[in-house]
Amino acid sequence: MSLLSNKLFQLNQLIAPQKLLTRIVPIVNTLQERNYAARKGTRERKKKAKVKVEIKKVGFIAHNLRGREQMLAARASKKFSDTWKADPIDNVYPMKYYKWIVYPFSEAIKAHRETHHPEIYNKPDAELYATVELNMQAEKKNRFMENFTRIAAVPHKFDHGEDRNILVFAKSEESQNEAREAGAQYVGGPELVKQIQTGQLSLYDFQYFIAHPDILPELVQLRGVMKRRFPNVKSGTLETDLKSVIDRYLRGISYQAVKDEYEKDFGQINAVLGHLNMNDTHLEENFAAFINDVYTQKPKRDGSFIYRCYLWSPPSSEKLKIDHEMYLDAAEEPKEEKQKIVQTVVL
Amino acid sequence: MWKTVPFVTKSISSSSILLAASSLIQQQIRTTYILKRKFPPQLHKKGSPPKKLRSRHYIYDLVEDTNTKKQEDIDVILTTFVEGLGNSGEKIKVKPQFAYNSLLLPGLAVYACPENLEKYKDTLCNKESVEYSSPNALPTIKTLSRITLSVVMNKDHPWVLKPWHVKTSFRKSGYVVPDDAITLPEKPITGPDMGLENKEFYVTVTINNKEKVNVRCRLHHWSTDIIDRIPYTPYFWEEDTEPIYPEFKEVLETLPKKVTKSVNKN
Repeated sequence: MSLLSNKLFQLNQLIAPQKLLTRIVPIVNTLQERNYAARKGTRERKKKAKVKVEIKKVGFIAHNLRGREQMLAARASKKFSDTWKADPIDNVYPMKYYKWIVYPFSEAIKAHRETHHPEIYNKPDAELYATVELNMQAEKKNRFMENFTRIAAVPHKFDHGEDRNILVFAKSEESQNEAREAGAQYVGGPELVKQIQTGQLSLYDFQYFIAHPDILPELVQLRGVMKRRFPNVKSGTLETDLKSVIDRYLRGISYQAVKDEYEKDFGQINAVLGHLNMNDTHLEENFAAFINDVYTQKPKRDGSFIYRCYLWSPPSSEKLKIDHEMYLDAAEEPKEEKQKIVQTVVL
Repeated sequence: MWKTVPFVTKSISSSSILLAASSLIQQQIRTTYILKRKFPPQLHKKGSPPKKLRSRHYIYDLVEDTNTKKQEDIDVILTTFVEGLGNSGEKIKVKPQFAYNSLLLPGLAVYACPENLEKYKDTLCNKESVEYSSPNALPTIKTLSRITLSVVMNKDHPWVLKPWHVKTSFRKSGYVVPDDAITLPEKPITGPDMGLENKEFYVTVTINNKEKVNVRCRLHHWSTDIIDRIPYTPYFWEEDTEPIYPEFKEVLETLPKKVTKSVNKN
């Protein structure tokens, strides 16, 4: 029992209740009056808490990175879509107001041959390039595929103008001879592995390493040195059929899919298919082989992998769109909304 | 506030000025909001008066605001040829605001009501009244008449200018023009001739075998060998030059010159 109530109890016995009320109330009031700080330093502490404004330190931003966010916001998406545009209705029209013309492959080559005719650019043996635009989204929505570099085997060989150094590892005499016949300059067995280990032969002189499975026990010692370039089945560099692998690596179409710097789900491939003076059907078959090789990289998800494909040939700046879907072997059943080839192209 | 509504309306109905709206300008405005009660009132007992509505019964969720709803396209019948849309008598589907402001108010079109359909049904059948072969013919004519087409020909290999050279040049510059739509001037242009470099001529393009338009062209020579190549002149179309043959001058003078929109020239 507190002191106050103790006193009340005593008072209660002495005085009548009506009198008690009037007398006690003033006593209680005086007890609550207080003209000092609630606790020492409370006011100061609250003042301090209010004034505190955090000043964020902004580090140095290089001049080319300033305003990056505004740049990204203003940047047009590279993903191509002209579905909102109308189909042409006349025989003469400016292309930019209408959907892109989808050329049949041979017509596109014919158009390029016109610009490279001796009477115009005079470059009938110019390289024919194909650009493939890819949807680099992986299985999950915010995961993206890695850049990939591959070599596609083509049915019709041409001079790609690249120096491709290949090192072939094979144990048996038979497979070594097979590799030499296929055109490999450097072929060797376990002695080659030792030379690399001792440093007599540098791995930097070679771009690609191909191996026959029979040499694998010795070759494993080089795994640490070669790292990602170590021959493996997945990339097609560890196979018994050396001839076809070497042929592909020496004479195939080498291409690289590069993701956009900012738009991570957009990738692009530029590859040479051949020369303009090659046969139409040969070029077409090369393209079919190339596009099918690209399509093997499609991640396991729904939706399209290839946005569009177009052919171009320097020095002309023309880009002629072609329908890639008709060349895909493993393609799903054709959709109803598939773009029709515009037949109005007159060449 | 809602509870006071009956009282307010009662007071309005008693004062007849506001309701006598015959003298006021009546304009239709659409202010329909579709609402849903957040707390629906309970059912009342059979035979007894309905339960009193509480304030919570006047809280609503917005289902649809018809003012912001996208209006559907409407049909109109054109009374004249309209660039990019169609010939007179043609029934077209356009956005209602565009139709009202740009077609109906200026009198270029009428509503496609049954009466109007009956009235204008002969206009389209009458082929003589068709001004242009297609709605997009006029814009194409306008575009083609103000461009300067660069025709690049070889500097080393002999040539005679043919329609397919011009067609290729058109395609490179982003215009689809078939071979048979191009008519070259009668006097043949042959080369390579450095005397003709950067000089002008014209070709006639026929759109849909009907409309003819003259296109200003400029001849350029191009060498495969980079050392012999003539350097590119930016904004070459702005520099004055002469026609290849003096006969072309008359036609070329009638063609408008291409104007560069961008101010920043570097």
